[in-house]
Amino acid sequence: MNGVQLHQVLEKNIGLLIFGILFVSAIGGLVQVLPSLFQESLKTASPNTKVYSPLELVGRDIYIREGCSTCHSQQIRPLVAEVERYGTYSRAGEFVYDRPFLWGSKRTGPDLHRIGGKYSNEWHRIHFINPRDVVHNSIMPAYPWLAERAANQDGDIKNKLHVLVKLGHPYTDDDIESSGSMLEGQSELDALIAYMQVLGTAYAKGDQ
Amino acid sequence: MKSAFSPRLILRLLFQPNNVFKELAELKPSSIAVFFKVALWFGVLPPLFAYIGASKFGWRLGTVEPLSLQKEILLSISVAYFIALLFGFISTVIVSRWMATTYGARQSLGIHFAMITVVGAPLAVGSIVHLYPDVFINILVLIPALLWSMYLLYRGLPIVLHITPERGMLMSSSLIGYLLVAFVSLLGITVFLWINGIGPLMGV
Amino acid sequence: MSDPAKKLSVEIYSDRVVTTLVMFSVIWAVIGMLAGVYIAAEMVWPALNFDQSWLSFGRLRTFHTNVVIFGFGVSALMGTAYYSVQRTSHVRLYASNLAWFTCWAWQIAILAGGISLLMGLTTSKEYAELEWPFDIAITLVWVCFAIVFFGTIAKRRIKQIYISNWFYGGLIIVIAMLHIVNNLALPVTLTKSYSLYAGAQDAIVQWWYGHNAVGFLLTGGFLGMMYYFLPKQAERPIWSYKLSIVAFWAFTYSYIWAGPHHLHFNAIPEWVQNLGMVMSLVLLAPSWASMVNGIMTVSSAWEKLRSDPSLKFIVLALAFYGLATFEGPMLAIKSVNIISHFTEWTIGHVHSGALGWNAMITYGTFYFLVPRLVGGNLYSVKLANLHFWLALAGTILYIVALWGAGVSQGVLWLSLDDLGELRYSFNEVMAAMKPYYLLRLVAGILFFIGTLLMIYNFSKTIVGRRTIAVRPPIESLAVA
Repeated sequence: MNGVQLHQVLEKNIGLLIFGILFVSAIGGLVQVLPSLFQESLKTASPNTKVYSPLELVGRDIYIREGCSTCHSQQIRPLVAEVERYGTYSRAGEFVYDRPFLWGSKRTGPDLHRIGGKYSNEWHRIHFINPRDVVHNSIMPAYPWLAERAANQDGDIKNKLHVLVKLGHPYTDDDIESSGSMLEGQSELDALIAYMQVLGTAYAKGDQ
Repeated sequence: MKSAFSPRLILRLLFQPNNVFKELAELKPSSIAVFFKVALWFGVLPPLFAYIGASKFGWRLGTVEPLSLQKEILLSISVAYFIALLFGFISTVIVSRWMATTYGARQSLGIHFAMITVVGAPLAVGSIVHLYPDVFINILVLIPALLWSMYLLYRGLPIVLHITPERGMLMSSSLIGYLLVAFVSLLGITVFLWINGIGPLMGV
Repeated sequence: MSDPAKKLSVEIYSDRVVTTLVMFSVIWAVIGMLAGVYIAAEMVWPALNFDQSWLSFGRLRTFHTNVVIFGFGVSALMGTAYYSVQRTSHVRLYASNLAWFTCWAWQIAILAGGISLLMGLTTSKEYAELEWPFDIAITLVWVCFAIVFFGTIAKRRIKQIYISNWFYGGLIIVIAMLHIVNNLALPVTLTKSYSLYAGAQDAIVQWWYGHNAVGFLLTGGFLGMMYYFLPKQAERPIWSYKLSIVAFWAFTYSYIWAGPHHLHFNAIPEWVQNLGMVMSLVLLAPSWASMVNGIMTVSSAWEKLRSDPSLKFIVLALAFYGLATFEGPMLAIKSVNIISHFTEWTIGHVHSGALGWNAMITYGTFYFLVPRLVGGNLYSVKLANLHFWLALAGTILYIVALWGAGVSQGVLWLSLDDLGELRYSFNEVMAAMKPYYLLRLVAGILFFIGTLLMIYNFSKTIVGRRTIAVRPPIESLAVA
């Protein structure tokens, strides 16, 4: 039976065709994706990489909510110019507590992976309320509503931490108990700024 | 014989394109004559303008400080540009001739040389904007030139190659498909060369 | 019904659901592209965000991608799948009521999903942003889609399954696999979940999904459309049956591996990156095989162009398909990717595919299909031709503008001066992009106006008409 005749067997049997498609399309994922899910180096935290504090976590979820990763990346490539501009390149071990990852695909605005500590809290405050007050030609939208909303508005920080514990993040019971009070009096803007300030700090300035 | 390279050809293309096409439809030009008398000179214009403009003004990519390159590098870039255009032109002629069989069009190589030369003329002339090498200004001028070239292609191809407008439409669209691929290849090759050291200084 | 003869004689194709899906597809095209034009304008004039959370670029961009892919794209694929599977099987849709359910449930899911995105309920994973309740709902609808589609094939009257059905089948099966695996998450509330995967592992899974959503939805599914509708319009068979076999299986096998080219020089293992690059290059061949098949089929049908505006769209769609499936592998080459990654070049590439291939092939198919569904003529061939030129101009302008922007960004970001210092600040490069963003906005407006002309044309075509009843060919009924 030649190739065409063999194929016509498939063409006359929908079950075989479905199975064939599933089988052929699954191979790539099994070889390329599955092994990485078991690779220790990709799920081991690099030294100094810590879980996000409740405030930072809330900030990160706000970053996700506002779609910041549509314009900002968090992935410094090992290229000379890139390292010079943003700091040492990103290691996998820095992202083990990132659910989901926020590496981004686009730099309409600059990479943010090592923004932590680069600007003062006050700079961030002004920048988020209206970016053009500090960066004159910025095209970033303004986010004034962040200052007006409480960080624990939705009241689910404890649930969030419980779920993350299930996923393997090392929060203690005390961490979870005290999380609510850690958000008291903080706005969403405070939370987002806290997130900004922790980004990339696993590697100190000047590290190569 | 194809009319000699003269400003009149360009003016006639602008104001009386149909007449130019009808003339071409009657001709049986020789590839050599078309290439060495007309096409080659059109092809020299863009690299020449680019060299002059870049050495005088520096490449501007919209930023405050233009990118200045040494004369030797500019020269090699201009030469590479010329070679790319040459390759692009000749490959388009060959592809056009190859497609002619499918679309029942005239097969003489010379007529394809002539047609592609005429269609490309607006871009060659438009490249005068390279004298001020700001990337955005260049795009602003070359896009209308490109649209004009595309108009000449769709309009002229069926007339020159003796096929119906519908067949011409299909063949022109296929040629545009080829040109898009050729151009993006040029972008890719250029970028590849830059990354591997032949071009502006980059920290990779 | 107990009388088989009576049952056979009243069997008609289930086409009203097709017409409904086509109409929704066009409506989503308008909404999604309007959102696209708006975010393009926001990048030129950020004041257009008006300090409103639901209008802000970050949320509206996600709305745009989801509406055009899942609203415009999937509705078109579902409608044309239902239309073509019936006619290639000579049998009415299996469980046509279930088909109606998939139609309406999908529209509601997209509407509600779109609103949820504007509210900021998002996972941020590209093209998988909808939160977990929507993921589940979509899965259920998709399963019903599979039941209808494969059920129809199972009860077919023509023994051989035609090639368009392989591609639509691939769409259904592979998207299900990708969607389920990539969206695995633990819910926190009804509107928030945390991904099962973290960091680098999440990146690998995400782009296995993301690239193949493009591969099997935006490429494979629409190839199914092309393989059915192009021969119908050209009134001749596909140029090469053997080539289509090779194209389909090579395509289905190779596409899956290409995902990591989204992660070149990122924190994932280098072997995964390199494998992604190599397979992306391999992918060029099966992709182009389908293009060649399409172009050679249509090139012998040139006389149809005189009266049929839709073939023009199909031809250009194939040309842009050639461009996009060439540019993709090229951008997957690591050296090229160093320049292109994170720049507008990627966006330009996306839109050469989305506008040049997806939109144009759909438009060409719809211009053919809509008059046929209602048994009339297209209201205005002139408007369709005008639409064609607007679409062509818009697409080319879009691509060229972003080629300029992207290459500039890539080079300028990496440029060093003689002392080895960065030559340009990020800000300077960003400022340089403004004129390109403006050009891109103009391009998008041109394309959008063309789409508006089309929806006007269609509404005038179908007003006062209903979907006509069409019977499967009688001869095959006797053979059943």
